Amino acid sequence: MKPTHVFQAEQLVAGYDHKTIIQGIDLVIPSNKISIIIGANGCGKSTLLKTLARLIKPISGKITLDGKAIGKIPPKQLARIVGLLPQSPIVPEGISVADLVGRGRFPHQTLLRGWTKKDSEAVAEAMAIMNITEFANHNIDELSGGQRQRVWIAMALAQQTDILFLDEPTTFLDITYQVEILDLLTDLNRKHGTTIVMVLHDINLSARYADHIFALDKGKLVTEGEPSKVITSDMVKHIFGLDCTVIEDPLSGSPLVVPKGRYHIGS
Amino acid sequence: MTNETLAIIAAGRRQRRRRWVLVTSVLLVMACMLCCAMLLLGNTIYPIKDVIRVLSGEELKGASFAINTIRLPRMLAGLFAGFAFGIAGYVFQTMLRNPLANPNVIGITSGSSAAAVFFITVLHSSRALVSVAAVVGGLVTVVVMYLFSRGKAFSIGRLILIGIGIQAMLDAVISYLLLISSQQDLPAAIRWLSGSLNGAQMKELLPLVIAVCMLTPFLVILGKQLSILELGEQTASSLGVATDKTRVALIVSSVCMIAIATATTGPIAFVSFLAGPIANRLVGIGFSNLIPAGLVGVNLVLAADLIGQFAFEYRFPVGVITGILGAPYLIYLLIRMNRKGEL
Repeated sequence: MKPTHVFQAEQLVAGYDHKTIIQGIDLVIPSNKISIIIGANGCGKSTLLKTLARLIKPISGKITLDGKAIGKIPPKQLARIVGLLPQSPIVPEGISVADLVGRGRFPHQTLLRGWTKKDSEAVAEAMAIMNITEFANHNIDELSGGQRQRVWIAMALAQQTDILFLDEPTTFLDITYQVEILDLLTDLNRKHGTTIVMVLHDINLSARYADHIFALDKGKLVTEGEPSKVITSDMVKHIFGLDCTVIEDPLSGSPLVVPKGRYHIGS
Repeated sequence: MTNETLAIIAAGRRQRRRRWVLVTSVLLVMACMLCCAMLLLGNTIYPIKDVIRVLSGEELKGASFAINTIRLPRMLAGLFAGFAFGIAGYVFQTMLRNPLANPNVIGITSGSSAAAVFFITVLHSSRALVSVAAVVGGLVTVVVMYLFSRGKAFSIGRLILIGIGIQAMLDAVISYLLLISSQQDLPAAIRWLSGSLNGAQMKELLPLVIAVCMLTPFLVILGKQLSILELGEQTASSLGVATDKTRVALIVSSVCMIAIATATTGPIAFVSFLAGPIANRLVGIGFSNLIPAGLVGVNLVLAADLIGQFAFEYRFPVGVITGILGAPYLIYLLIRMNRKGEL
């Protein structure tokens, strides 16, 4: 099982060049759990994730891992604890699946110590978890979108971090693959104790798979907690501006948002 | 199950490694053969044993002068410059993930040339100072290009278009400087215009040899970071690459290499542009193709020089031959990028 870490942000303000997007957020990532950040388009959920994963330098406030500011931890050392799967990663043309997954081993290698058996094992394990072993020596250009996404997650897994951030890992995928990816990530969390933090678009899938929800609105953390406590029709109205009824998901028991529309107002 | 997976991964790696070694060896052997040909061929064709005797220090009438003073410096200039062009081109193309993003196409070489020609014709500087100016000129061009192409969001397509524009402007500056230059500066200045191995001299090769021998190991070490940078800014930093520092180190060392090589042979058209894609095609993607790209550069320069010297009625400088080879590929890439909507 992965060790427990305290990863937290205090008074975090962040954004791009002149635009402040995250307006003072305090949060603690629940260790060894699955957290999902939800919110309307443009609320800053992706920016928050990127800032936590140190892709964006905060304007003010601090982010600490086990009490140490993440900016002070050497990048390679940090990359052995915290990993990130970006929203649209770039594929070098013509690379094989195994080689791409293998690049996730970079933070574990040093100048003198090249590729070792341990690296091969990590790659093999990551590919087995993501169920892509059969494609190991295929060219990545030959794979479908869903398969590719599994390859990218496998690369992040080969990094063997205790904490894994994912920026919308299910976008552009059919619903079947969305569920498959989320199941695989849940396996990872339950079997290895990997702390997972992700941004998801779909509120119902979020409610199903999250242990903990962070709900964002206009760069501020509105509410957080267990899905069953957090996801209410008032919250959905506040965050998405959507009228809805929240019922119980018949399969998972988690909250299920049923949107109202002009033609389907209900009673 | 995992053992089986391990075997599959190991087999794939072995196969790709074997191909890397095979291609690199073949390129190395070809380069050696071309080097020999450069020493053997000329107005008089000397037998191999004469060449070996001359190289080991013996004095042979006629042969000693032709080989030691003309053919050996010519061969070494082609060898080291070709290697430098190949490696520097590969670094840029891989880092920016686009074969068009190349010092030769986006004006970095022209920046070096313009600075050098200015220092020769206007300031009448010493050779050493001219080389320094060339390096600085190349780096300034990179910075200017980067600032222009920043816009709202950095785009490689825009960087390339701006680079092509800057290249045209700098070439105009060079032409103007040559027009106003005095007779005695002209020979030194003209070297910066088009690549040629004619008149290479032993004592002028030293800076190039030093630059290649020092910077190649450095770039090989950075090769691992380079292959991570290829995955994009976000993936690279989440894998623990200090992206800004790495990029600066890669740019400065490859611009140094290319500027110093250009100071020796002139800009040999399209070598840095062709070497990387040819190496990638031959080896495949997986391991760093830095060294194969350097060797492809050597082969291109030496082969083109031999063709230029002996294939036609007139002798053409090496840059003319590589230009003829490279231009169609440039047009092909521009068309392909346009079709994909990247420009």
